[in-house]
Amino acid sequence: PVTAASIVVPYGHVIGNEKWRGSEVAQRLQGKVRLIFEDGLGLVDFHLSNGTCILLISEADLVAGDEFKRRLVRFRNASSLRGIVIVEKTPISDQYYLGVQKLVVLELGMVLLPVANQGEASQLIIQLVSFCVREQSRDRGANPFLRKQRAQLAEPAVLQTVQQIPGVGKTKALLLLQQFGSIHRLCNASINELEEVVGQTAAQQIYTF
Amino acid sequence: SRFPALCVLADSREVCSGPEVISCLRAEHGLRVQVCALGTSDYIVSTCLAVDRLLQSELQSPSNRNKLSQRLQRLQGSFQRICVIVETDRVRPGETSRFFQRTQHYDGMLSALVQAGIKILFSSCQKETAALLKDLALVEHRKGAAIQVPTEPEGHRRDILNFCLSIPNLSYSAALNLCHSFGSLAAMAN
Repeated sequence: PVTAASIVVPYGHVIGNEKWRGSEVAQRLQGKVRLIFEDGLGLVDFHLSNGTCILLISEADLVAGDEFKRRLVRFRNASSLRGIVIVEKTPISDQYYLGVQKLVVLELGMVLLPVANQGEASQLIIQLVSFCVREQSRDRGANPFLRKQRAQLAEPAVLQTVQQIPGVGKTKALLLLQQFGSIHRLCNASINELEEVVGQTAAQQIYTF
Repeated sequence: SRFPALCVLADSREVCSGPEVISCLRAEHGLRVQVCALGTSDYIVSTCLAVDRLLQSELQSPSNRNKLSQRLQRLQGSFQRICVIVETDRVRPGETSRFFQRTQHYDGMLSALVQAGIKILFSSCQKETAALLKDLALVEHRKGAAIQVPTEPEGHRRDILNFCLSIPNLSYSAALNLCHSFGSLAAMAN
């Protein structure tokens, strides 16, 4: 069955595909995350908390040929879940990595993360789970790469920008902004209006700019 | 040479830190590489995509965390799409290849990048990084986002470019587009 449907994952849990029961990854995950096994997950290996799931590609899959590629494409076409592909990149499977990366990241637009063995895979999954949980609990400040919306004062920036006009330094920029208030009004000022604030030469320069 | 239209902007610091990337892009892939003071990112591949080149050791070391997050947050302010290329550190002559010990911090950084929607690519050397940049440029070209304006404006346009560059949250590529679409500041403001 080619299922890749979304399933409800209890908060802070991971649902693993039955086929991983007893594997090294599963053993290392147990105790660190709350892992439940389920049958019939189809293409997916692990479901994380918030619509994110993991597809695990082993060294053997890579060497065996293109079957795993079909699996990834089928997943991409069948599911709207966010898929993270974890691939076992070893000295043996290394030669295939660039090709896989091109397919997964550039063509399918999914996430690809290399690990050296199943032990590293379980460590990585633990970190991914902890970020999923934190995101669900709206503790978004925890992510150092998410942009925080902060109000930025416009005045210093506008002053900087006005100083880029040829012939305008800090003093003239201040005078111009006091008189015209905004860049839009400054741009539409007539040469006479400009001359009242700055000298004739500068007014000419600003006007032609 | 098959894609004469493809153009990539490189930050001037990359001339020192990634000379092989730039020369490979030019010589092997036939891309036009324009070196300029981007400041915010290492490469700009299209009007929407900025690429940062990170060494694996930079991602591995906790002391870099703040610098990196500030840098990427600023990038997110001016670009729709961001990609990082994680490059394996070069083994210097005389140095035996150091065993890479994967840390919890490293996995945490990767998870944070994934969660923030930042694309991650892995490369084992500067040559591979160049090939990845070319692939990215091709994908962006297909999306219709390639940089297609002249990258070295002169005279009056140069002044207008500098004016645009000082506007907060406006990327270098967006500023280039603006300065080529409008002949004067008055035209732009209206």
